[in-house]
Amino acid sequence: MGYRDHWSDMWTGLRLIVSGVKRYPRMTVIAVMGALTWMVVTIISPYLQKLVVDDAVEGNQPNLLLPLVLLVLLVGLIRASSIAWRRWNAFKLSYRFEVHLRGRIFSAIQRLGFDYHDHASAGELMARSSTDVTQVRLIFMMLPITVANLITMAMVGVMAFVLDPVLGMVAAITLPAMIVFAALYSRQAIGISFQVQQALAGMSRLTQEGISGIAVTKAFGREAREARKAQGVATDIFDKSMSLARFRSVYLPWLELLPTLTTLGALWLGGLRVASGEMTIGDLVAFTQYLVILYFPLRMTGWFFAELPRASAAAARIVQLLQTPPSVTSPDAPRPLGPGGGEIRFDRVSFSYNGVEVLSDLDLSIPAGSSVALFGATGCGKTTLAQLIPRFYDPQAGSISVDGTDVRELHLTDLRREVAVAFEEPFLFSATIAENIGFGTPHAERSEIVGAARIADADEFIRKLPEGYDTVVGERGITLSGGQRQRVALARAIVGNPRILILDDATSAVDAITEAHIHAELVEMMRGRTTIVIAHRTSTLLLADRIILLEDGRVLAFGEHQELWDNVPRYRQLLAEASPAR
Amino acid sequence: MYSRYGSADPVPHRMNLLRRAAKSARYMALPALGAAIAAIVSSMSRVAGPLVIREGVDKGIIPQDTSVITNVALIFGGILVAQYVSTRITLYMVAWLGERFMMDLRNQVYSHVLRMDMAFFGRTKTGVLVSRLTADIESLQVFATEGVISVVGSTLMVTGVSVALFVIDPFLAMIVMLLMPILVAISIHFGRRSGQAYRQVRSQVGRVLGALQENISGVREVQANAQELRQEERFGAIDQTYYQKGMAAAKTVVRYFPQVDTLRVVGLVLVLFIGGNRVLDGEMSLGSMIAFLLYLNWFFEPIVQLANIYNLLQGALAALYKLYGLMDEEPAIQEALETTPLAPEVDGRIRVDMLTFGYSPDEPIITDLDLSIPSGQRVAVVGATGSGKSTLVRLIARFYDPQTGGVSLDGIDLRKLSFADLRRAVALVPQEGFLFEDSLRFNLSFGRGEMTDDEVWEACRAMGIAEWVESLPEGLDTPMRERGNRLSSGERQLVALARALAVDPAIVILDEATSNLDPGTESQIEDALESLLAGRTSIVVAHRLRTARRADRVLVMEGGRVVEDGTYDDLAGSDGHFAELIRTWESPEQRV
Ligand SMILES: Nc1ncnc2c1ncn2[C@@H]1O[C@H](COP(=O)(O)OP(=O)(O)OP(=O)(O)O)[C@@H](O)[C@H]1O
Ligand SMILES: Nc1ncnc2c1ncn2[C@@H]1O[C@H](COP(=O)(O)OP(=O)(O)OP(=O)(O)O)[C@@H](O)[C@H]1O
Ligand SMILES: [Mg+2]
Ligand SMILES: [Mg+2]
Repeated sequence: MGYRDHWSDMWTGLRLIVSGVKRYPRMTVIAVMGALTWMVVTIISPYLQKLVVDDAVEGNQPNLLLPLVLLVLLVGLIRASSIAWRRWNAFKLSYRFEVHLRGRIFSAIQRLGFDYHDHASAGELMARSSTDVTQVRLIFMMLPITVANLITMAMVGVMAFVLDPVLGMVAAITLPAMIVFAALYSRQAIGISFQVQQALAGMSRLTQEGISGIAVTKAFGREAREARKAQGVATDIFDKSMSLARFRSVYLPWLELLPTLTTLGALWLGGLRVASGEMTIGDLVAFTQYLVILYFPLRMTGWFFAELPRASAAAARIVQLLQTPPSVTSPDAPRPLGPGGGEIRFDRVSFSYNGVEVLSDLDLSIPAGSSVALFGATGCGKTTLAQLIPRFYDPQAGSISVDGTDVRELHLTDLRREVAVAFEEPFLFSATIAENIGFGTPHAERSEIVGAARIADADEFIRKLPEGYDTVVGERGITLSGGQRQRVALARAIVGNPRILILDDATSAVDAITEAHIHAELVEMMRGRTTIVIAHRTSTLLLADRIILLEDGRVLAFGEHQELWDNVPRYRQLLAEASPAR
Repeated sequence: MYSRYGSADPVPHRMNLLRRAAKSARYMALPALGAAIAAIVSSMSRVAGPLVIREGVDKGIIPQDTSVITNVALIFGGILVAQYVSTRITLYMVAWLGERFMMDLRNQVYSHVLRMDMAFFGRTKTGVLVSRLTADIESLQVFATEGVISVVGSTLMVTGVSVALFVIDPFLAMIVMLLMPILVAISIHFGRRSGQAYRQVRSQVGRVLGALQENISGVREVQANAQELRQEERFGAIDQTYYQKGMAAAKTVVRYFPQVDTLRVVGLVLVLFIGGNRVLDGEMSLGSMIAFLLYLNWFFEPIVQLANIYNLLQGALAALYKLYGLMDEEPAIQEALETTPLAPEVDGRIRVDMLTFGYSPDEPIITDLDLSIPSGQRVAVVGATGSGKSTLVRLIARFYDPQTGGVSLDGIDLRKLSFADLRRAVALVPQEGFLFEDSLRFNLSFGRGEMTDDEVWEACRAMGIAEWVESLPEGLDTPMRERGNRLSSGERQLVALARALAVDPAIVILDEATSNLDPGTESQIEDALESLLAGRTSIVVAHRLRTARRADRVLVMEGGRVVEDGTYDDLAGSDGHFAELIRTWESPEQRV
């Protein structure tokens, strides 16, 4: 089963639900009061009806009829307004809690580091903030009425005994039996509908993936196989839904019949007792009415207690996410980043992804204001090394410092504002180009954005777009060509005027001439700031003052091009392969 | 104000939609008839209950005739059995009908979506398509199963109860019926209002989830720019709107039910007062009055239910409308009715003939392009970013159809080829090497479908990545995360290449498929590519000189036209674009 209902989980989840009650104590009390009022008048009403039937009609007292009927009207009106009162507060309470919870989940997701997101599935995170939250909201919405229901049922039980002890006994036996039956039914039904939900989630995953990867599917003509996969999932949904339907068709009629059966039993027994004069006919009417009134709260209570474990499990999953500590956080007492030109030091740094070592015992010192190129084989750890500087990951051993301060002592916002990264595969938001470029610097003027776009050689093509800088790019920027996308991302990295600029293969999809333009502008940009360029092309490498050759998790060589060319055979070998002359 | 709801209704032709749905479900007519009969029996047996009770009260309890009481109880029991059996059959049959309909719809819609062309996917958001296939069909599901039962059941109930009321006491029945128009009017009003309010809630939920989805996909970008707080604020604003819409919908509900309750009380008071007087006057029996009181609940409930169902129905109709709208959208790229078969041995000749194309027809990206590539030639395409290289190769792989002109393969226009032949002949490795969230094995064997492990390893070896795959802790079972996040970008490209070459196509198109590889790895796979590309026609889009150097022929694109076309040496010698390109490429080397 996909969901655990261990006690500890249950308990964690319940605590979250209770924390909601504590958060809105006034609204909760008002909602419970509304529900109680509603219940009380609901119960009084049949009693008044009994009075009408017994005293006024049977007892032949026409002068009592009008006052009693007016009383029924009054009570009915109170009932109508209390139902509005109860519902309004329950809705408000639960929607508030939902929005509050989702806000917390959102912020947790945003704060969890790269390492978490490397393993988390986006679908799972979506489920936390949609279905799980909704489940908690529903149970939360039911909370006031369930409290009122429980109180009511106790009261009705007492009333039934007062009316007639024998019939009271009938109620005392059948009512709890009905709760148990309803709870058992709901529990089973919820279990099966959980499987239906899972099957439906399978459909959602399948379509999400299938549509994201449609270009690959089309490139290989695999549409038919994708469709077959969907057929499997659809059939699974059908099977699961039908087993739910089978279950419901067997037990749901019982749920309806049980109260009717109780009514029947009451009428038969009661009828005999009225016939023998042990009970009035009005009592019988009132009694059967109570059974009808109770029917709904009974089912609801049963549903509530059956749903509770599942909602608690959902809440427990939410708590688990909320309590996952981000692996990278700002220190409690961050130090300010002192003035400096962006000097970077790696001191005996080792880093591994889940036990697979990528960097080992690496020492490196990049002087302020210099530009270096990171060079090495595919998968040797260039991206990894660069990502340690803005603390996207923390190394397992060793330390990294910027301008003499250990990066772990800085506030993350301060650090990341000064270290800008253009990723290998840039992510563009479906927003306007200007918003995408100014993403990291919300207060940037339009002129600054245009200036950055110019340096990235993007200004020209952006101006040609239908709405220029205000053109909305499609999902992930698919309406742009690969090189255009990269240049927008490049502009985004430089617009904030960072102390350290990291360009991770940021021009791989850009042609040589455009790249040369960019380089000419970048040289200007690079003056006075530390720049790390990751590249595979000679032209890009030579943009930097010095070159770091990375191999086997270590810095194999670090120096000027000529120096390495003369002294490092491996460098010569790698570059020779890159040269077009062969 | 009132009539605006009607005009804002997104479903113009309800009856047409329903008729179409019914038509597509015609093969289920017989089970549907059975379900209808069961539903009628079930409602009738429910209506019969209070009538029997009246008999019991009037003929048994009041005259104190115990044998009648017991007989009536027995009859009541029999009715209950009928009720159980018929309800059970109804529930099951209706569920079967609904689920079956949904299943067919899911398959039809998804197959249809897969058939759509790339331009369609360019203009339609993934989230929207996913919600068509999930939320929309599911909203239909609630209606098709529970909704249909309720509509049929409630309608039968209201009719049955009305008849019963008239049978018991026409005068009192008339008076109670006076409430009916009011109840129906407020119910319709509620149905419309809340329907609209919940539609807004649903679309806001879509916005909330969309924002969430984008933030999860782009979480690295958010953190890199230290924008967590601002993103939270933005998301908070969207979620706050959701709260407001939710409360607006709650308001309609909160208003409606007290109104119904008030009416119910009025009905109750009328029955008690008028009925009481009539009993006192001896014009009506006490049993009738009690039966009236019992029926009264059953009279209101179904109408309230119908008002709720009205919502469901509107939601279902809106969903059907969207789904049928999607199904009616024809893919721009279609298989010809009469295809020309491709010879088993594909030659690999490509001709592009006076081709003009733009993603939107009024903005051509490629204009009047003529090109002929003989079998087995290796062509490099270079040019500025945005000059149309990717667009050209997408046209050759028929991801798009040109506005004028055409592309032919071995002398056959692409539009006359069957899809199977086209995909067998042409493999395109797109610029973005998308990997599925599945195992490495799945991704490597994707192009061929089923591949044995041996074949997968064979492909890895051919590509020179076997050693790397072996070094992974989980080997071929290594799971890929969203778009292959856990590989380095070069590794991702290698996987995409291996996937394409496993297909063994006659024409290979590589769109910057090696741009993220270091020179060492590239030259390593270049040897592998060399043997793999030998004897095939290949088109390679690249920004690197060495790729151009190895090609038989170089095309230089600019502004959607081929501005230079020739061998590397010819072009390098002339004083054109390419020569300039080479100078740019080589200049750093000259600094050495
Ligand atoms: N998130 C991750 N989880 C686990 N392993 C990873 C992750 N990211 C990278 N790796 C592995 O770590 C190694 C180094 O990856 P990295 O991305 O730093 O390489 P790179 O030098 O940037 O390569 P490329 O030139 O291809 O971009 C690779 O073998 C890669 O498979
Ligand atoms: N799906 C799309 N919808 C609309 N416009 C597009 C789409 N894809 C590309 N374009 C536009 O068409 C033009 C040509 O794009 P194309 O991708 O063919 O360029 P390219 O030569 O491959 O460039 P690059 O070297 O950067 O990949 C660009 O201006 C781009 O903005
Ligand atoms: Mg990398
Ligand atoms: Mg391209």
